[in-house]
Amino acid sequence: MTVAIAYRPQLSPVSDAKRATEREYVIAAQRGSDAAFAELVRLHQRRAYAVARAIVLSHEDAEDAVQDGFLHAYRALDRFRSDQPFGAWLNRIVANAALDLVRRRKVRDAEELPETVALPFRDPGEADELRRRLSGALTHLTDRQRAVIVLHDVEGYTHGEIGSMLGIPEGTARSDLHHARAALRRRLSDVRSEE
Amino acid sequence: MSDHLKLHTDGQSAGGDDDITRGLRALYAAPTGDDYWRGLEARILSRLTEASAPGITWWDELDRWMRPALVAAAVVLLASGIAIVRTLETDHEVAADAMLTPTPSSLPVETAVRPVLQEHRETTFRYLMTP
Repeated sequence: MTVAIAYRPQLSPVSDAKRATEREYVIAAQRGSDAAFAELVRLHQRRAYAVARAIVLSHEDAEDAVQDGFLHAYRALDRFRSDQPFGAWLNRIVANAALDLVRRRKVRDAEELPETVALPFRDPGEADELRRRLSGALTHLTDRQRAVIVLHDVEGYTHGEIGSMLGIPEGTARSDLHHARAALRRRLSDVRSEE
Repeated sequence: MSDHLKLHTDGQSAGGDDDITRGLRALYAAPTGDDYWRGLEARILSRLTEASAPGITWWDELDRWMRPALVAAAVVLLASGIAIVRTLETDHEVAADAMLTPTPSSLPVETAVRPVLQEHRETTFRYLMTP
């Protein structure tokens, strides 16, 4: 039996040191150091991108959401308690920026393109059949289900972390994940049975 | 089960879910290459710089003109005050001069009594003096 394992290492002395460094950057940034905030951007932009990408429909929107998120974080930095993990706080902000972007896109699309269904996943070099089918199946999930399954299965976040990021209870995240997987399995098996 | 060690069995063929997970990871793969991340970092920082730079809005413009406008208003008020004081002083001086300076009405005037009136007066005088 194949078992997919999403593993994240426990805190080590190295990560403790990183966290201490990060805390120094946060404190310096709160005192007005733009260089320290730039370090925080460098440390967290990849994770922030992954969070945004799980929620929005395109790479470009993910970039926009990351930029919005960092901007909001920069403005709200005074309100951040430096004894908390900066990454979790930032990811919540980025997730909110991404959700906001999705809402705005929906309103705009509803106004401009009422009859079209968005094809969310650009994949110009589509070689993998599974990826093509999966892309199609993902369009049948709700935005939240899609975000939950990507954050969990691709990024390895826990249900609690996902709930915190998306502003939903942990149980809802768990349930969304279950339904998302079931829907994807159903869609993919339908395609298989048609072949 | 630890949150850090998730087993994606979920009561279904693990192989199927494994396919889904693989597919999702391929679809959602983040861009690779340090150049991309350096570029994104630069865009983020540039956005922060733009956002923290003071934009020129109507209230900024108003604010910019506030100080000169206040100075101009103060100068106008001062000038008006001085003008009013000067006007009042001039009025007082004119009034005082008018009181002290002999006016044309105080110049000697030759009076002439009408002859009829003079005769009447003499007649009256004579009547009174006559025993």
